[in-house]
Order: sequence, then C-alpha cells, then structure tokens
Amino acid sequence: MSRRTPARRGTDGGPARAVAPAPTRRAGRPATPPRQARGRAARSGQPAPRWRRATLSVRRVPLAAWLCALVACVNAAGWSLITPPFQAPDEQAHFAYVEQLARNGRLPTSSTQEFAPDELVALDDLEVSRVSLQPQNRTIASEARQRKLERDLARAAASASPDRGAAGVAAAQPPLYYALAAIPYALGASGGVLDQLALMRLLSALMCGITALFVFLFVREALPAVPRAWAVAGLGAAFMPALASISGAVNPDAMLCAVSAAIFSCFARGFRRGLTPRLAAAIGVLSAVGLLTKLNFLGLMPGVAVGLVLLAGRTSRALGPRAAARAAAPALAIAVLPACVYVLANLLSHHRALGIAGGVFAVTVGHRSIPGELSYIWQLYLPRLPGMHVDFADISPLRDLWFNGLVGDYGFEDTFFPRWVDNLALIPVLAIAALALREVFLHRPALIRRVGELVTYLALTVGLLILIGASSYLSFPSEAAAFPEPRYLLPLIPLFGIALALAARGAGRRWGPAVGALIVVLFFAHNLFSQLQVIARYYG
Amino acid sequence: MPGARVGLAVGLALSAVAAAIVLSSSPPVLAGTNGVIPVPYPPLTSVPGGGGGCQADEAVPGGTSAVRLSLEASAGPRVSVAVWVGGRAIARGVSAQGWLGRVVTVPIVPLVRTVHHATVCFSFAGAEERVSLLGVRTPPRSAARSSTRTLPGRIAVEYLRPGSSSWWSLAPSVARRMGLGRAWAGTWVAAMVALLMATGIVLASWLTLRESR
Repeated sequence: MSRRTPARRGTDGGPARAVAPAPTRRAGRPATPPRQARGRAARSGQPAPRWRRATLSVRRVPLAAWLCALVACVNAAGWSLITPPFQAPDEQAHFAYVEQLARNGRLPTSSTQEFAPDELVALDDLEVSRVSLQPQNRTIASEARQRKLERDLARAAASASPDRGAAGVAAAQPPLYYALAAIPYALGASGGVLDQLALMRLLSALMCGITALFVFLFVREALPAVPRAWAVAGLGAAFMPALASISGAVNPDAMLCAVSAAIFSCFARGFRRGLTPRLAAAIGVLSAVGLLTKLNFLGLMPGVAVGLVLLAGRTSRALGPRAAARAAAPALAIAVLPACVYVLANLLSHHRALGIAGGVFAVTVGHRSIPGELSYIWQLYLPRLPGMHVDFADISPLRDLWFNGLVGDYGFEDTFFPRWVDNLALIPVLAIAALALREVFLHRPALIRRVGELVTYLALTVGLLILIGASSYLSFPSEAAAFPEPRYLLPLIPLFGIALALAARGAGRRWGPAVGALIVVLFFAHNLFSQLQVIARYYG
Repeated sequence: MPGARVGLAVGLALSAVAAAIVLSSSPPVLAGTNGVIPVPYPPLTSVPGGGGGCQADEAVPGGTSAVRLSLEASAGPRVSVAVWVGGRAIARGVSAQGWLGRVVTVPIVPLVRTVHHATVCFSFAGAEERVSLLGVRTPPRSAARSSTRTLPGRIAVEYLRPGSSSWWSLAPSVARRMGLGRAWAGTWVAAMVALLMATGIVLASWLTLRESR
C-alpha cells in the first residue's frame, strides 16, 4: 500500500499541488527561496543555517504586507498623540504594572489604586478622574497647569517611591506585554512618567503594525487567488480605528491582537500547505506568548486545540500517526509549559491562578445557574429565544453594544458618534456583507472542502465570545454589560480582514479594483472622523 | 487600474467634502447648569432600569437644545426627558440606548426663552441594570423625587445650546490644548497628528493603486 503524500491545498483549498502556488510578481517575492540561496544550499549539500532560513522567511514577506504594517504603525502612533495621557481604558493600571515590574522586578501583589507617587501626581495634575467618563469635562487648558504638572512631576521623580505593588485591574494579568513595555519605560526614565507613557504607547503602535502584517498574510494564505484583495484586508485592519485607538495606548490588547492574527495566519498556512514540525512549533510558541500576554487568550485556546487536532488528523492520514504526533505534540507542550509556570508563579505569589477565568469558574460553580449563564451569553450576541429570561430589556446587545461600539467607542469608552452615524454605518457594512456573502455563495463547494479550517476559525471565535460573555456575567445584573467592550473582539480581526477581501473579490473583475479602493478609503474616512471625534471630545 | 484610481478619487473627494462640512459645523456649548457638581462615588442612589424621577426648581436657559443628566450605567436604557412648567410639558426628548459613562445627553426641542422653576423629569425605558444617579445630598425639601419616594438629593443637570463658532475657528485653541499635558508639550503635537494622517493616506493610496495593477 503506497503512502499518500501530505495533503496540499491549492487555490480555495482545491486539488493538491506539488508546491504552494507562488504569488504574483506584484504580490511580492515568490513563496520558494531565492534561486541564489537555494543554489548555495544545494552546492554545499547542507540545509541552510537556521538564521538564514529565518532571514529568507522574512524576505519572502511581500512589500505590500510591510507597507500595510507601516500604515498601521503610523496610524496608531497618531492615535497615541491624540488620546490624552491615561484616557484610554485602564491605562493607569497598565502603566502601574510596568512601573512595578521595571522598578522592583516583581509582579504586582495588589489590585488597589495605590500607584507610585509620580503616577499619582500625573493622574492628579491631568485631572484624569474628572475627565474620564464625563465627556462634559476637557483636558487641562492653561500654560499654568502645564507648568504645575512639570514641576510636580520633577519633584515626584526625585522622591523615593515605596513599593506598594499595586496595579489596579491589571494586577491579575500575565506579565509578558508589561515586561516588553518595561524597555521603553526604562528608555524614558530620565524624562519622567509622561515620556515613559509616550514611548510605551509607541510599543503598542508597533504591535498594531504586526497585527496588520499578519492580517495580510492570513488573507494571502486563506484567499490566494486574488492578490489585490490582500492589501484591502491589510489596510482595512491598519485603518480600523478600534484597533488603532487601543494600539495607541498602553494596553496588552494591542499585543493580544498581534498574537491572535499570527495564530490565524499559521492555521491558514497549515490548512493550505500541511502541518510541519516548524509550523506546529510556531503555533505552540504563539499560544504560549498569547497566554502570557492576556488572560483573554484563554478564550482562543480551545480553537487552537481544535485546529491542531484537525491538522494532526490530516497529517496522520497522509503520513501516519507518528508523523502527526511528532508535528503536533511539541506545539501543545510549548504552549502549555509557560502557562503552567505562570499559574505556579501566580499561586506562589498568592494571586488567583487564572485571574478573570478563575472568577468565572468560581461564579459558575457558585450561586448562579449554568442555564442562566448560557442564556445570558446567548443574548449577549444573538436574539433572545422564547423561554429565555429577559436579560437586556431595552437594548439590543448586537446592535447597541457590539456594532455601535465598533463604529465608535473611544477614550474610556465614553466618546462615541451621534446615533445617526451608527445608523449610516449600516449602509456600507451591509453592502460589504452582501458582496462577501455573494462571493461565499459562488464558491460554496470550496467551503465544503475546507470545513476543517472553517471549524477551527469558528472554534477560535466561539471560545473568545464565551469567555467575554462568562466574564460579563460575573457582574450581571448589577451591571448589564460590564465586560463586553468592542475591543475584546479585536483578536478576531483576521476574520474581519477576510470579509473585506471577500467583498473586494465579490465585486467581480470589473468592479473589484474600484470597490477595493472604496473600502480602503471608507476605513481611512472612518479613522479620520473617529480621530476628529476624540479631538473634539478632549480638546474642543 | 482605472477602476481603482476612480474609486480612490471618488472616495477621497467625498471624505474631504464630509470633513469640510463637519468642520464647518458648531459644537454645542454649555448654556447653564443647576450648580450641582456630581460625586461619582458613592452615587446618590440607584433606581431600577424601568424607573425615573423628577427634579423641581430648575432654571432652563433659552435656546437649550439638549439636557445632560449625570447618570451612570454600563449599558444604559433609553432616557426620556420632559421639562414641565405650570403642569404643561414645554419640551421633550429621548436619548439613544446602550450608553456608557456618567452622563447621558438627551436632545430636546429647543426652548425659545428661559424658564424658571421648571421641573425636569426623566424616565428609563426599562433595563435589567439599575441606573445610578450622580449628584449631591440635600434636605428632602429640595431633593429630587422618584415615583415612589423622595431621593436623597439632587442630580447634576446641564443645559446645552448650539454654539456659534465653527470648528475651523476653534482650530487654533484646539491645537494649543492638544499640546498641553504631554511629554513634549507644544502645538507641534497637532501638526504631527496631521502629518501622520497624511502619511497614512498617501501610503495607502499608493499601495492600493500598485496592488490593483
């Protein structure tokens, strides 16, 4: 019995090809190594060294993808200047975490707001608590206030700061993003809190670029047939104001989005080209990084597991179970090990082992009913079914929280467009959805061939939605929607990129380029007006 | 390529026209307040999502086109506001639902003249979540009332009217304010934001045209 070759998917997951289809010239470099490098490797009879392979992998990324990343970085850097210091969600807590980690080399031990004196001085002089959540109040407006701020910050920097170990709501989060942010924190140490904050925000902006890059690469792998649609997806992500605004602030969501986009990209590659040990290891490393970035990544883990099992199953059918186990097992081991270390460290430092997730489990097994929780989670995303308790009497969460929130919800979630803008936004969104659905309908046989891949993306999505819903249920009904902030959906941004690419492709050969250009301009305009809205709210 | 060029040109032209229209409009300005400075913690009280209340002795300035109430919720219900004088409602309005924050702004039919000793009533369309009222504690005689009881104090109310200065004319003061409270203070912040915006659209336009060839 002959052994079958590994399944390789061609365009739209079609019949097998011997090698992956090379992208067109305009889309960038070919998928195979450059001839010169291949020649050298063949002449020597040795595989290329690891560093050279890594360099070649980076050089194979098309110029268009790098440009999408650059646009995203530039845009997020703009947002970092527009958003006043500490006026992004929980930014003071995230800053305090970094400060604690950088100054004392230890994880935070308290979730109180007893931050370091220099941060408290900045919060006080900038009147952060007066401005946040109260759009009638603006930022400081006089040179005298500016001078007082500078004077007080200089005095606070000179004084010794006691180790209080407080990081507010961020205290329970894993440390990786904060450890990276400690680098710009250290670079700005001579300038004080505001310099450090500005530099840390630029780190988040860099991560926005990585997100856009991987959205491009994900769409390139998932929809290889129409290269012009890849840039539409990449630029759509780059200009998406919800992503750019959170990436213009100190917030681990920026890194979570980048990691999530990279994982989506790896799965698309795996389902198209087959699971290799290197790819499996990359998924494992990314999962470990995700788990160490933000607890919300736990919502993506079931999807990662489903994807690895499905990819391993395909490898097993093609190459046998040993090859499948050799490919997939390291991924799971790499993914779980750092998380175990983190949980252990958390337990040893008297934290709840899984932070928010730990609370979810506690409530689930506590006084609340599981059917009640499931009903709440359902209603958070979908229309209520007959027989369900009315958890949202006067609002439609899908429309009022998620859709309107993604149209515009900035600052401390207290800056948004007038209602008519949300209504107007329905028109382009429905048009994009119609074009994307048309494309899906026209290529429905390809969907059946790619059911495993779709199940993986669905599992990633559902896992995250359930985590958000379960976390929000913790404070229900005293707060109907404490946790469902649109930014928590941003790890699913690669799927948003796919929708844009499908829409550009669904417009057909004749209108596709014009529609693609219009989609890019639409997101640029959305971004521009969102920035103006934030400027008007804080400085108007 | 021509399709992409046309799409890009049309889209950018429409965006520029929309931006010009928006910047030519005037932001609403504060016409008056009831003098109550809200205290967020602890809130005055909280009422059920289907409740409401009334507050007497309000002076509503002429020209008021929106009423801003200090309420707090995570997914606030629709808020209806009515201004009553002498047993007659002289202005009404309804907010959108799903709001978050410590204020909700309710547009009303603009008032022609200032009215004194008005009663401002608010009611919620119904929600599972309770709505917190933010204000200050007062003696029961001057406190707001819900349908069933006297509340512990008065809530903060602000009255807004359309402004007369366009965003264009406000641009210098906005740019100056953007430069304050920063690591490197100065109006260069506004210029840098504009430069970054322009860089983004130039790069994106070039890439869109390049990729659609």
